[in-house]
Amino acid sequence: MSAGPEGVSTERGITTPVVGAVDPILDAIDPDRGRPPHVMETRDLTLGFGAKAILSGVTAPFARGTITALIGPTGSGKTTFLRTLNRMNDKVRGFRREGSVLLDGESIWSTEQDLFTLRRRVGMLFQRPNPFPMSIRDNVVAGVRAHRIAKGKQLDVVAEQRLLEVGLWDAVKDRLGDSPFQLSGGQQQLLCLARALAIGPEVLLLDEPTSALDPVSTEFVEHLLLQMTPALSMVVVTHNLGQARRISHQTMFLYDGNLVEHGPTAQVFEHPVHTHTERYVTGRMG
Amino acid sequence: MAVIAEPDRSAIRRRRRREVAFRVSTLVTLALVVGPAAWILLGVVLRALPHWRWSVLVTPTQGAAGGLSNAILGTLALMAGVLVVAGTLGILAGVFLAELAPVTGRRWSVTGILRSATDVLAGVPSITLGFVGYLALVLALHWGYSLLPAILVLSVMVVPYIAKSTESALRQVPTSYREGAEALGMRQGYALRKVVLRSAIPGVATGLLIALAISSGETAPLLYTAGFTNTLPKVALIHHPVAYLTYPVWTFYDYPTPAAHYLAYDAALVLLVLVLVLLVAARLIVARTQRHADR
Ligand SMILES: Nc1ncnc2c1ncn2[C@@H]1O[C@H](COP(=O)(O)OP(=O)(O)O)[C@@H](O)[C@H]1O
Ligand SMILES: [Mg+2]
Repeated sequence: MSAGPEGVSTERGITTPVVGAVDPILDAIDPDRGRPPHVMETRDLTLGFGAKAILSGVTAPFARGTITALIGPTGSGKTTFLRTLNRMNDKVRGFRREGSVLLDGESIWSTEQDLFTLRRRVGMLFQRPNPFPMSIRDNVVAGVRAHRIAKGKQLDVVAEQRLLEVGLWDAVKDRLGDSPFQLSGGQQQLLCLARALAIGPEVLLLDEPTSALDPVSTEFVEHLLLQMTPALSMVVVTHNLGQARRISHQTMFLYDGNLVEHGPTAQVFEHPVHTHTERYVTGRMG
Repeated sequence: MAVIAEPDRSAIRRRRRREVAFRVSTLVTLALVVGPAAWILLGVVLRALPHWRWSVLVTPTQGAAGGLSNAILGTLALMAGVLVVAGTLGILAGVFLAELAPVTGRRWSVTGILRSATDVLAGVPSITLGFVGYLALVLALHWGYSLLPAILVLSVMVVPYIAKSTESALRQVPTSYREGAEALGMRQGYALRKVVLRSAIPGVATGLLIALAISSGETAPLLYTAGFTNTLPKVALIHHPVAYLTYPVWTFYDYPTPAAHYLAYDAALVLLVLVLVLLVAARLIVARTQRHADR
Protein backbone atom coordinates (compact mmCIF):
# COMPACT_ATOMS: atom_id res chain seq x y z
CA MET A 1 0.00 0.00 0.00
CA SER A 2 2.67 2.41 0.99
CA ALA A 3 5.39 2.96 -1.54
CA GLY A 4 7.43 4.70 1.10
CA PRO A 5 9.79 7.56 0.55
CA GLU A 6 12.52 5.56 -1.21
CA GLY A 7 11.52 6.91 -4.59
CA VAL A 8 12.08 10.46 -3.43
CA SER A 9 15.35 12.12 -4.13
CA THR A 10 16.24 14.58 -1.44
CA GLU A 11 19.07 16.96 -2.11
CA ARG A 12 20.98 15.49 0.79
CA GLY A 13 21.78 12.16 -0.75
CA ILE A 14 21.99 9.01 1.29
CA THR A 15 22.25 9.24 5.04
CA THR A 16 25.00 7.30 6.73
CA PRO A 17 23.58 5.71 9.83
CA VAL A 18 26.49 6.41 12.14
CA VAL A 19 25.08 7.07 15.55
CA GLY A 20 26.73 9.11 18.24
CA ALA A 21 30.10 10.17 16.89
CA VAL A 22 30.57 13.90 16.58
CA ASP A 23 32.40 14.64 13.37
CA PRO A 24 32.41 18.23 12.13
CA ILE A 25 33.36 17.28 8.58
CA LEU A 26 30.68 14.65 8.17
CA ASP A 27 28.19 16.89 10.01
CA ALA A 28 28.86 19.66 7.54
CA ILE A 29 28.20 17.32 4.64
CA ASP A 30 25.10 15.86 6.19
CA PRO A 31 23.65 17.45 9.31
CA ASP A 32 21.06 14.69 9.57
CA ARG A 33 23.71 12.03 9.83
CA GLY A 34 22.63 9.28 12.16
CA ARG A 35 19.08 10.54 12.54
CA PRO A 36 16.17 8.41 11.41
CA PRO A 37 15.47 9.03 7.71
CA HIS A 38 11.85 9.76 8.57
CA VAL A 39 11.36 13.01 10.37
CA MET A 40 7.94 11.81 11.45
CA GLU A 41 5.99 8.65 11.06
CA THR A 42 2.70 7.24 12.12
CA ARG A 43 2.34 3.58 12.99
CA ASP A 44 -1.02 1.90 12.84
CA LEU A 45 -2.67 5.16 13.83
CA THR A 46 -6.39 4.89 14.48
CA LEU A 47 -8.38 8.04 15.22
CA GLY A 48 -11.94 8.71 16.24
CA PHE A 49 -14.31 11.04 18.03
CA GLY A 50 -16.48 9.20 20.54
CA ALA A 51 -18.10 6.25 18.81
CA LYS A 52 -17.29 7.67 15.38
CA ALA A 53 -14.26 6.21 13.60
CA ILE A 54 -12.37 8.71 11.47
CA LEU A 55 -9.27 6.86 10.32
CA SER A 56 -7.99 3.38 10.98
CA GLY A 57 -4.54 1.86 10.88
CA VAL A 58 -2.66 4.64 9.13
CA THR A 59 1.04 3.79 8.80
CA ALA A 60 2.89 6.55 7.03
CA PRO A 61 6.50 7.66 7.10
CA PHE A 62 7.33 11.27 6.28
CA ALA A 63 10.72 11.63 4.62
CA ARG A 64 12.94 14.34 6.03
CA GLY A 65 13.17 17.51 3.99
CA THR A 66 10.26 16.74 1.68
CA ILE A 67 6.69 17.89 1.17
CA THR A 68 3.88 15.39 1.57
CA ALA A 69 0.49 16.27 0.17
CA LEU A 70 -2.54 14.93 2.00
CA ILE A 71 -5.50 14.62 -0.34
CA GLY A 72 -8.96 13.14 -0.10
CA PRO A 73 -12.62 14.12 -0.22
CA THR A 74 -14.13 16.45 2.38
CA GLY A 75 -14.67 14.62 5.64
CA SER A 76 -12.06 11.97 4.92
CA GLY A 77 -10.15 12.95 8.05
CA LYS A 78 -7.30 15.02 6.60
CA THR A 79 -7.61 17.78 9.18
CA THR A 80 -8.05 15.30 12.01
CA PHE A 81 -4.93 13.44 10.93
CA LEU A 82 -2.89 16.61 10.55
CA ARG A 83 -3.95 18.00 13.93
CA THR A 84 -3.00 14.74 15.58
CA LEU A 85 0.61 15.17 14.45
CA ASN A 86 1.17 18.15 16.76
CA ARG A 87 -1.32 16.98 19.38
CA MET A 88 -3.87 19.71 18.69
CA ASN A 89 -6.59 17.10 19.08
CA ASP A 90 -5.54 15.94 22.54
CA LYS A 91 -7.91 18.29 24.30
CA VAL A 92 -10.81 17.92 21.85
CA ARG A 93 -13.83 16.31 23.49
CA GLY A 94 -14.28 12.67 22.59
CA PHE A 95 -11.01 12.38 20.70
CA ARG A 96 -9.47 8.93 20.90
CA ARG A 97 -6.42 7.41 19.31
CA GLU A 98 -4.54 4.16 19.06
CA GLY A 99 -1.16 3.50 17.52
CA SER A 100 1.73 5.89 17.58
CA VAL A 101 3.23 8.99 16.05
CA LEU A 102 7.00 9.27 16.09
CA LEU A 103 9.04 12.43 15.78
CA ASP A 104 12.68 11.58 15.10
CA GLY A 105 11.92 8.08 16.28
CA GLU A 106 10.38 9.14 19.58
CA SER A 107 6.68 9.05 20.42
CA ILE A 108 5.10 12.51 20.55
CA TRP A 109 3.14 11.30 23.55
CA SER A 110 6.15 10.00 25.47
CA THR A 111 6.70 11.56 28.85
CA GLU A 112 9.95 13.22 27.80
CA GLN A 113 8.15 15.13 25.07
CA ASP A 114 6.33 18.08 26.43
CA LEU A 115 3.90 20.09 24.35
CA PHE A 116 6.04 23.19 24.61
CA THR A 117 8.99 21.58 22.77
CA LEU A 118 6.86 19.47 20.46
CA ARG A 119 5.08 22.54 19.13
CA ARG A 120 8.33 24.34 18.71
CA ARG A 121 9.56 21.48 16.54
CA VAL A 122 6.27 20.88 14.73
CA GLY A 123 4.63 24.11 13.60
CA MET A 124 1.24 24.67 12.01
CA LEU A 125 -0.34 26.98 9.46
CA PHE A 126 -4.13 27.17 9.36
CA GLN A 127 -6.64 27.37 6.57
CA ARG A 128 -7.74 30.88 7.44
CA PRO A 129 -5.02 33.41 8.23
CA ASN A 130 -5.15 33.98 11.99
CA PRO A 131 -2.87 36.84 12.98
CA PHE A 132 -3.10 37.85 16.63
CA PRO A 133 -4.61 41.20 17.64
CA MET A 134 -1.19 42.84 18.05
CA SER A 135 1.17 44.75 15.79
CA ILE A 136 2.65 43.14 12.68
CA ARG A 137 6.07 42.97 14.32
CA ASP A 138 4.71 41.49 17.54
CA ASN A 139 2.89 38.87 15.48
CA VAL A 140 6.10 37.66 13.88
CA VAL A 141 7.90 37.35 17.19
CA ALA A 142 4.98 36.08 19.30
CA GLY A 143 6.31 32.53 19.34
CA VAL A 144 9.92 33.67 19.70
CA ARG A 145 8.92 35.50 22.86
CA ALA A 146 6.94 32.58 24.22
CA HIS A 147 9.92 30.28 23.77
CA ARG A 148 12.39 32.92 24.97
CA ILE A 149 14.48 32.44 21.84
CA ALA A 150 15.38 36.11 21.61
CA LYS A 151 14.61 39.35 23.40
CA GLY A 152 14.93 43.11 23.19
CA LYS A 153 16.66 44.40 20.07
CA GLN A 154 17.19 40.86 18.77
CA LEU A 155 13.45 40.64 18.23
CA ASP A 156 13.61 43.37 15.60
CA VAL A 157 16.29 41.42 13.78
CA VAL A 158 14.24 38.22 13.94
CA ALA A 159 11.15 40.06 12.68
CA GLU A 160 13.03 41.55 9.75
CA GLN A 161 14.68 38.26 8.79
CA ARG A 162 11.47 36.28 8.89
CA LEU A 163 9.51 38.90 6.98
CA LEU A 164 12.26 38.94 4.35
CA GLU A 165 12.11 35.17 4.22
CA VAL A 166 8.41 35.17 3.33
CA GLY A 167 8.75 38.13 0.98
CA LEU A 168 6.64 40.46 3.10
CA TRP A 169 9.34 42.85 4.30
CA ASP A 170 9.05 45.47 1.59
CA ALA A 171 5.30 45.62 1.94
CA VAL A 172 5.28 46.10 5.72
CA LYS A 173 8.64 47.59 6.69
CA ASP A 174 7.11 51.03 7.13
CA ARG A 175 4.18 49.84 9.20
CA LEU A 176 5.55 47.22 11.54
CA GLY A 177 3.61 48.81 14.38
CA ASP A 178 0.29 48.68 12.56
CA SER A 179 -2.54 46.23 12.86
CA PRO A 180 -2.10 43.06 10.76
CA PHE A 181 -5.77 43.15 9.82
CA GLN A 182 -5.17 45.92 7.32
CA LEU A 183 -3.12 43.50 5.23
CA SER A 184 -4.65 41.49 2.39
CA GLY A 185 -5.62 37.87 3.05
CA GLY A 186 -2.53 36.65 1.24
CA GLN A 187 -0.26 38.95 3.20
CA GLN A 188 -1.90 37.87 6.46
CA GLN A 189 -1.21 34.25 5.60
CA LEU A 190 2.43 35.11 4.83
CA LEU A 191 2.61 36.87 8.20
CA CYS A 192 1.32 33.71 9.89
CA LEU A 193 3.91 31.71 7.96
CA ALA A 194 6.65 34.08 9.17
CA ARG A 195 5.34 33.66 12.72
CA ALA A 196 5.43 29.87 12.41
CA LEU A 197 8.91 29.87 10.87
CA ALA A 198 10.28 32.25 13.48
CA ILE A 199 10.57 29.53 16.13
CA GLY A 200 12.52 27.32 13.78
CA PRO A 201 10.32 24.22 13.40
CA GLU A 202 11.61 21.02 11.80
CA VAL A 203 8.18 20.08 10.49
CA LEU A 204 5.42 22.38 9.32
CA LEU A 205 1.82 21.17 9.10
CA LEU A 206 -0.36 23.15 6.70
CA ASP A 207 -4.12 22.73 6.48
CA GLU A 208 -5.32 24.01 3.10
CA PRO A 209 -2.98 26.98 3.46
CA THR A 210 -4.01 28.66 0.21
CA SER A 211 -7.71 27.85 -0.02
CA ALA A 212 -8.61 31.34 1.22
CA LEU A 213 -6.11 33.09 -1.08
CA ASP A 214 -6.22 34.51 -4.59
CA PRO A 215 -4.30 32.74 -7.40
CA VAL A 216 -1.33 35.11 -7.33
CA SER A 217 -0.82 34.76 -3.57
CA THR A 218 -1.33 31.02 -3.93
CA GLU A 219 1.44 30.75 -6.48
CA PHE A 220 3.70 32.85 -4.29
CA VAL A 221 3.08 30.66 -1.24
CA GLU A 222 3.66 27.48 -3.25
CA HIS A 223 6.96 28.83 -4.49
CA LEU A 224 7.92 29.71 -0.95
CA LEU A 225 7.08 26.26 0.38
CA LEU A 226 9.22 24.62 -2.25
CA GLN A 227 12.11 26.92 -1.38
CA MET A 228 11.88 25.92 2.26
CA THR A 229 12.78 22.32 1.51
CA PRO A 230 14.93 20.48 2.39
CA ALA A 231 15.60 22.51 5.54
CA LEU A 232 11.99 22.03 6.53
CA SER A 233 9.71 19.02 6.15
CA MET A 234 6.06 19.69 5.41
CA VAL A 235 2.72 17.96 5.39
CA VAL A 236 0.19 19.91 3.34
CA VAL A 237 -3.53 19.20 3.25
CA THR A 238 -4.94 20.42 -0.02
CA HIS A 239 -8.08 20.20 -2.09
CA ASN A 240 -6.20 21.60 -5.01
CA LEU A 241 -4.89 18.61 -6.94
CA GLY A 242 -2.80 20.86 -9.16
CA GLN A 243 -1.14 22.20 -6.06
CA ALA A 244 -0.42 18.71 -4.78
CA ARG A 245 1.28 17.89 -8.10
CA ARG A 246 3.24 21.11 -8.19
CA ILE A 247 4.68 21.15 -4.72
CA SER A 248 4.67 17.71 -3.15
CA HIS A 249 7.19 14.91 -3.30
CA GLN A 250 4.83 12.31 -1.87
CA THR A 251 1.08 12.14 -1.87
CA MET A 252 -1.20 10.41 0.62
CA PHE A 253 -4.75 9.70 -0.40
CA LEU A 254 -7.27 9.30 2.43
CA TYR A 255 -10.60 7.78 1.61
CA ASP A 256 -13.39 6.20 3.61
CA GLY A 257 -11.43 5.99 6.84
CA ASN A 258 -8.27 4.57 5.34
CA LEU A 259 -4.98 5.59 3.89
CA VAL A 260 -5.69 4.18 0.43
CA GLU A 261 -2.53 5.17 -1.34
CA HIS A 262 0.81 6.68 -0.42
CA GLY A 263 3.72 7.14 -2.79
CA PRO A 264 5.75 9.52 -4.89
CA THR A 265 3.44 12.19 -6.21
CA ALA A 266 4.10 11.46 -9.87
CA GLN A 267 3.27 7.82 -9.33
CA VAL A 268 0.06 8.51 -7.36
CA PHE A 269 -1.17 10.84 -10.07
CA GLU A 270 0.05 8.99 -13.18
CA HIS A 271 -0.18 5.36 -12.17
CA PRO A 272 -2.39 5.03 -9.11
CA VAL A 273 -2.65 1.53 -7.75
CA HIS A 274 -6.20 1.82 -6.51
CA THR A 275 -9.33 2.61 -8.49
CA HIS A 276 -10.55 5.03 -5.79
CA THR A 277 -7.34 6.99 -6.15
CA GLU A 278 -7.62 7.04 -9.88
CA ARG A 279 -11.20 8.27 -9.76
CA TYR A 280 -10.25 10.98 -7.26
CA VAL A 281 -7.15 12.30 -9.04
CA THR A 282 -8.94 12.36 -12.36
CA GLY A 283 -11.80 14.31 -10.85
CA ARG A 284 -14.37 11.58 -11.34
CA MET A 285 -15.23 11.16 -7.69
CA GLY A 286 -18.13 13.00 -6.07
CA MET B 1 -37.39 35.89 -13.82
CA ALA B 2 -37.44 36.33 -17.54
CA VAL B 3 -39.90 39.23 -17.61
CA ILE B 4 -39.50 42.30 -15.44
CA ALA B 5 -42.66 42.34 -13.39
CA GLU B 6 -44.91 45.37 -13.38
CA PRO B 7 -44.18 47.11 -10.04
CA ASP B 8 -47.04 46.66 -7.65
CA ARG B 9 -47.63 50.21 -6.46
CA SER B 10 -49.82 49.38 -3.49
CA ALA B 11 -47.32 46.80 -2.25
CA ILE B 12 -44.55 49.37 -2.43
CA ARG B 13 -46.64 51.90 -0.58
CA ARG B 14 -47.49 49.34 2.08
CA ARG B 15 -43.84 48.45 2.50
CA ARG B 16 -42.90 52.10 2.78
CA ARG B 17 -45.57 52.73 5.39
CA ARG B 18 -44.36 49.77 7.43
CA GLU B 19 -40.82 51.12 7.17
CA VAL B 20 -41.89 54.51 8.49
CA ALA B 21 -43.89 52.95 11.32
CA PHE B 22 -40.85 50.91 12.31
CA ARG B 23 -38.57 53.94 12.32
CA VAL B 24 -41.01 55.96 14.40
CA SER B 25 -41.38 53.18 16.94
CA THR B 26 -37.63 52.81 17.34
CA LEU B 27 -37.32 56.55 17.85
CA VAL B 28 -40.07 56.52 20.46
CA THR B 29 -38.36 53.67 22.29
CA LEU B 30 -35.06 55.49 22.19
CA ALA B 31 -36.73 58.59 23.61
CA LEU B 32 -38.31 56.50 26.39
CA VAL B 33 -34.91 55.18 27.37
CA VAL B 34 -32.79 58.26 26.92
CA GLY B 35 -35.44 60.81 27.92
CA PRO B 36 -35.54 60.19 31.68
CA ALA B 37 -31.75 59.99 31.88
CA ALA B 38 -31.39 63.28 30.01
CA TRP B 39 -34.08 64.80 32.24
CA ILE B 40 -32.21 63.83 35.39
CA LEU B 41 -28.89 65.06 34.00
CA LEU B 42 -30.39 68.37 32.97
CA GLY B 43 -32.18 68.78 36.30
CA VAL B 44 -28.97 68.25 38.26
CA VAL B 45 -26.91 70.52 36.05
CA LEU B 46 -29.51 73.30 36.01
CA ARG B 47 -29.87 73.26 39.76
CA ALA B 48 -26.19 72.98 40.57
CA LEU B 49 -24.69 75.44 38.10
CA PRO B 50 -26.34 78.75 39.14
CA HIS B 51 -24.70 78.69 42.60
CA TRP B 52 -21.59 76.65 41.68
CA ARG B 53 -18.42 77.60 43.59
CA TRP B 54 -15.12 75.98 42.72
CA SER B 55 -14.17 76.12 46.39
CA VAL B 56 -16.57 73.20 46.89
CA LEU B 57 -13.88 70.96 45.45
CA VAL B 58 -11.25 71.90 48.03
CA THR B 59 -13.25 72.63 51.19
CA PRO B 60 -14.40 69.86 53.50
CA THR B 61 -17.99 69.66 54.71
CA GLN B 62 -18.87 71.71 57.77
CA GLY B 63 -22.12 70.50 59.26
CA ALA B 64 -24.54 70.75 56.35
CA ALA B 65 -22.52 73.43 54.54
CA GLY B 66 -18.97 74.03 53.33
CA GLY B 67 -17.59 71.88 50.52
CA LEU B 68 -17.16 68.31 49.36
CA SER B 69 -13.42 67.64 49.31
CA ASN B 70 -13.75 65.01 52.04
CA ALA B 71 -16.52 63.22 50.15
CA ILE B 72 -14.72 63.41 46.80
CA LEU B 73 -11.53 61.93 48.21
CA GLY B 74 -13.55 59.32 50.11
CA THR B 75 -15.40 58.22 46.98
CA LEU B 76 -12.14 58.05 45.03
CA ALA B 77 -10.59 55.92 47.79
CA LEU B 78 -13.61 53.61 47.77
CA MET B 79 -13.45 53.28 43.98
CA ALA B 80 -9.74 52.54 44.03
CA GLY B 81 -10.29 49.89 46.70
CA VAL B 82 -13.12 48.30 44.75
CA LEU B 83 -11.04 48.36 41.58
CA VAL B 84 -8.27 46.43 43.32
CA VAL B 85 -10.36 43.98 45.37
CA ALA B 86 -13.37 43.38 43.11
CA GLY B 87 -11.33 43.84 39.94
CA THR B 88 -8.89 41.10 40.92
CA LEU B 89 -11.52 38.70 42.24
CA GLY B 90 -13.99 39.36 39.43
CA ILE B 91 -11.50 38.95 36.61
CA LEU B 92 -10.06 35.80 38.17
CA ALA B 93 -13.54 34.36 38.62
CA GLY B 94 -14.43 35.25 35.03
CA VAL B 95 -11.25 33.64 33.72
CA PHE B 96 -11.95 30.55 35.79
CA LEU B 97 -15.53 30.28 34.53
CA ALA B 98 -14.60 30.78 30.88
CA GLU B 99 -11.26 29.01 30.59
CA LEU B 100 -10.55 26.57 33.35
CA ALA B 101 -13.91 25.39 34.63
CA PRO B 102 -14.59 21.91 33.31
CA VAL B 103 -17.80 21.79 31.35
CA THR B 104 -19.77 19.39 33.51
CA GLY B 105 -23.47 19.05 33.97
CA ARG B 106 -23.06 18.31 37.67
CA ARG B 107 -24.78 20.72 40.00
CA TRP B 108 -22.32 20.53 42.83
CA SER B 109 -19.16 21.06 40.86
CA VAL B 110 -16.97 24.01 41.82
CA THR B 111 -18.15 25.75 38.69
CA GLY B 112 -21.80 25.17 39.46
CA ILE B 113 -21.42 26.55 42.96
CA LEU B 114 -19.41 29.55 41.77
CA ARG B 115 -21.97 30.26 39.07
CA SER B 116 -24.94 30.04 41.43
CA ALA B 117 -23.10 32.13 44.00
CA THR B 118 -22.52 34.94 41.52
CA ASP B 119 -26.13 34.79 40.36
CA VAL B 120 -27.43 34.91 43.93
CA LEU B 121 -25.07 37.72 44.90
CA ALA B 122 -26.18 39.82 41.98
CA GLY B 123 -29.74 39.47 43.20
CA VAL B 124 -29.25 40.41 46.88
CA PRO B 125 -30.44 43.97 47.62
CA SER B 126 -27.50 46.21 48.41
CA ILE B 127 -29.02 47.32 51.72
CA THR B 128 -29.03 43.71 52.89
CA LEU B 129 -25.37 43.32 52.04
CA GLY B 130 -24.69 46.58 53.84
CA PHE B 131 -26.49 45.35 56.94
CA VAL B 132 -24.59 42.05 56.90
CA GLY B 133 -21.37 44.03 56.53
CA TYR B 134 -22.40 46.19 59.46
CA LEU B 135 -23.08 43.20 61.73
CA ALA B 136 -20.06 41.16 60.67
CA LEU B 137 -17.35 43.72 59.97
CA VAL B 138 -18.27 46.96 61.70
CA LEU B 139 -19.59 45.38 64.92
CA ALA B 140 -18.35 41.79 65.27
CA LEU B 141 -14.81 42.48 64.07
CA HIS B 142 -14.77 45.90 65.78
CA TRP B 143 -13.60 47.63 62.61
CA GLY B 144 -16.05 50.45 63.17
CA TYR B 145 -17.33 52.62 60.34
CA SER B 146 -14.37 52.67 57.99
CA LEU B 147 -12.91 52.19 54.52
CA LEU B 148 -12.27 48.44 54.55
CA PRO B 149 -15.78 47.20 55.41
CA ALA B 150 -17.19 49.61 52.82
CA ILE B 151 -14.79 48.38 50.13
CA LEU B 152 -15.50 44.76 50.97
CA VAL B 153 -19.28 45.17 50.87
CA LEU B 154 -19.15 47.13 47.61
CA SER B 155 -16.80 44.51 46.16
CA VAL B 156 -19.12 41.66 47.06
CA MET B 157 -21.85 43.60 45.27
CA VAL B 158 -19.96 44.19 42.03
CA VAL B 159 -17.84 41.04 41.67
CA PRO B 160 -20.68 39.24 39.82
CA TYR B 161 -20.81 41.98 37.17
CA ILE B 162 -17.08 41.86 36.57
CA ALA B 163 -17.01 38.05 36.53
CA LYS B 164 -19.94 37.85 34.11
CA SER B 165 -18.61 40.41 31.67
CA THR B 166 -15.11 38.92 31.79
CA GLU B 167 -16.50 35.46 31.18
CA SER B 168 -18.63 36.49 28.23
CA ALA B 169 -15.84 38.60 26.76
CA LEU B 170 -13.49 35.61 26.93
CA ARG B 171 -16.06 33.34 25.35
CA GLN B 172 -16.30 35.67 22.39
CA VAL B 173 -12.58 35.54 21.65
CA PRO B 174 -12.22 33.77 18.27
CA THR B 175 -11.07 30.13 18.48
CA SER B 176 -8.47 30.94 15.82
CA TYR B 177 -6.53 33.09 18.32
CA ARG B 178 -6.45 30.28 20.86
CA GLU B 179 -5.49 27.66 18.30
CA GLY B 180 -2.84 29.91 16.82
CA ALA B 181 -1.34 30.44 20.25
CA GLU B 182 -1.58 26.74 21.08
CA ALA B 183 0.10 25.74 17.82
CA LEU B 184 3.01 28.05 18.61
CA GLY B 185 3.51 26.15 21.84
CA MET B 186 2.33 28.89 24.19
CA ARG B 187 1.30 27.49 27.54
CA GLN B 188 -2.32 28.09 28.46
CA GLY B 189 -1.68 30.82 31.01
CA TYR B 190 0.78 32.60 28.73
CA ALA B 191 -1.60 32.48 25.76
CA LEU B 192 -4.35 33.80 28.00
CA ARG B 193 -2.30 36.78 29.13
CA LYS B 194 -0.61 37.63 25.84
CA VAL B 195 -3.23 36.81 23.23
CA VAL B 196 -6.68 35.93 24.53
CA LEU B 197 -7.22 38.52 27.27
CA ARG B 198 -5.96 41.20 24.93
CA SER B 199 -8.96 40.87 22.69
CA ALA B 200 -11.29 40.52 25.67
CA ILE B 201 -10.23 43.89 27.11
CA PRO B 202 -13.31 45.86 25.96
CA GLY B 203 -15.64 43.43 27.72
CA VAL B 204 -13.55 43.33 30.87
CA ALA B 205 -13.32 47.13 30.89
CA THR B 206 -17.09 47.41 30.57
CA GLY B 207 -17.50 45.19 33.63
CA LEU B 208 -15.01 47.26 35.63
CA LEU B 209 -16.72 50.47 34.53
CA ILE B 210 -20.13 49.27 35.64
CA ALA B 211 -18.59 48.14 38.91
CA LEU B 212 -17.02 51.54 39.53
CA ALA B 213 -20.16 53.41 38.54
CA ILE B 214 -22.19 51.26 40.92
CA SER B 215 -19.78 51.69 43.78
CA SER B 216 -19.63 55.44 43.34
CA GLY B 217 -23.40 55.66 43.18
CA GLU B 218 -24.40 53.40 46.09
CA THR B 219 -25.73 54.85 49.33
CA ALA B 220 -27.44 52.17 51.42
CA PRO B 221 -24.49 49.82 52.00
CA LEU B 222 -22.23 52.77 52.75
CA LEU B 223 -24.56 54.22 55.38
CA TYR B 224 -24.03 50.92 57.21
CA THR B 225 -20.31 50.56 56.73
CA ALA B 226 -18.48 53.78 55.89
CA GLY B 227 -20.33 56.13 58.22
CA PHE B 228 -19.61 59.73 57.34
CA THR B 229 -17.16 62.35 58.51
CA ASN B 230 -16.42 66.00 57.89
CA THR B 231 -12.69 65.33 57.86
CA LEU B 232 -10.59 64.18 54.93
CA PRO B 233 -10.02 60.40 54.68
CA LYS B 234 -7.19 59.10 56.88
CA VAL B 235 -4.65 56.68 55.51
CA ALA B 236 -6.27 53.90 57.50
CA LEU B 237 -8.35 50.94 56.43
CA ILE B 238 -10.27 50.54 59.67
CA HIS B 239 -11.45 52.55 62.69
CA HIS B 240 -11.88 55.81 60.76
CA PRO B 241 -15.17 56.76 59.09
CA VAL B 242 -15.06 57.84 55.45
CA ALA B 243 -17.11 60.44 53.61
CA TYR B 244 -18.59 59.74 50.16
CA LEU B 245 -20.53 61.75 47.59
CA THR B 246 -23.90 60.05 47.81
CA TYR B 247 -24.19 60.95 51.49
CA PRO B 248 -24.78 64.70 50.95
CA VAL B 249 -27.17 63.92 48.10
CA TRP B 250 -29.16 61.57 50.29
CA THR B 251 -29.04 63.43 53.59
CA PHE B 252 -28.70 67.15 52.93
CA TYR B 253 -31.59 67.21 50.50
CA ASP B 254 -33.98 66.87 53.45
CA TYR B 255 -32.37 69.70 55.41
CA PRO B 256 -34.21 73.02 55.69
CA THR B 257 -31.25 75.29 54.80
CA PRO B 258 -30.51 76.38 51.21
CA ALA B 259 -26.78 75.78 51.84
CA ALA B 260 -27.55 72.10 52.47
CA HIS B 261 -29.64 71.90 49.29
CA TYR B 262 -26.85 73.51 47.27
CA LEU B 263 -24.38 70.99 48.62
CA ALA B 264 -26.72 68.11 47.72
CA TYR B 265 -26.93 69.29 44.10
CA ASP B 266 -23.21 70.02 43.95
CA ALA B 267 -22.49 66.46 45.13
CA ALA B 268 -24.84 65.07 42.47
CA LEU B 269 -23.09 67.13 39.80
CA VAL B 270 -19.63 66.04 40.92
CA LEU B 271 -20.78 62.40 40.85
CA LEU B 272 -22.10 62.84 37.32
CA VAL B 273 -18.87 64.40 36.12
CA LEU B 274 -16.89 61.66 37.85
CA VAL B 275 -18.82 58.90 36.10
CA LEU B 276 -18.53 60.76 32.80
CA VAL B 277 -14.76 61.10 33.17
CA LEU B 278 -14.61 57.40 34.00
CA LEU B 279 -16.55 56.58 30.86
CA VAL B 280 -14.30 58.64 28.63
CA ALA B 281 -11.17 57.27 30.27
CA ALA B 282 -12.38 53.70 29.76
CA ARG B 283 -13.11 54.46 26.11
CA LEU B 284 -9.66 55.89 25.57
CA ILE B 285 -7.98 52.95 27.25
CA VAL B 286 -10.00 50.48 25.22
CA ALA B 287 -9.29 52.33 21.98
CA ARG B 288 -5.59 52.34 22.80
CA THR B 289 -5.45 48.63 23.61
CA GLN B 290 -7.62 47.66 20.64
CA ARG B 291 -5.73 49.54 17.96
CA HIS B 292 -4.54 46.23 16.52
CA ALA B 293 -7.92 44.55 16.79
CA ASP B 294 -9.65 42.84 13.91
CA ARG B 295 -12.50 45.09 12.82
N1 LIG C 1 -14.28 17.62 17.16
C1 LIG C 1 -14.96 16.72 16.44
N2 LIG C 1 -15.91 15.96 17.02
C2 LIG C 1 -16.59 15.04 16.31
N3 LIG C 1 -16.42 14.80 15.00
C3 LIG C 1 -15.48 15.53 14.35
C4 LIG C 1 -14.70 16.52 15.04
N4 LIG C 1 -13.86 17.08 14.13
C5 LIG C 1 -14.09 16.47 12.96
N5 LIG C 1 -15.06 15.53 13.08
C6 LIG C 1 -15.56 14.66 12.02
O1 LIG C 1 -14.48 13.93 11.51
C7 LIG C 1 -14.62 13.76 10.12
C8 LIG C 1 -13.37 14.17 9.41
O2 LIG C 1 -13.23 15.57 9.55
P1 LIG C 1 -11.96 16.33 9.01
O3 LIG C 1 -10.75 15.72 9.59
O4 LIG C 1 -12.17 17.79 9.30
O5 LIG C 1 -12.05 16.06 7.45
P2 LIG C 1 -11.35 16.82 6.25
O6 LIG C 1 -10.37 17.78 6.80
O7 LIG C 1 -10.74 15.72 5.45
O8 LIG C 1 -12.43 17.48 5.48
C9 LIG C 1 -15.84 14.53 9.69
O9 LIG C 1 -16.91 13.65 9.50
C10 LIG C 1 -16.11 15.44 10.86
O10 LIG C 1 -17.49 15.65 11.00
MG1 LIG D 1 -10.22 19.94 6.61
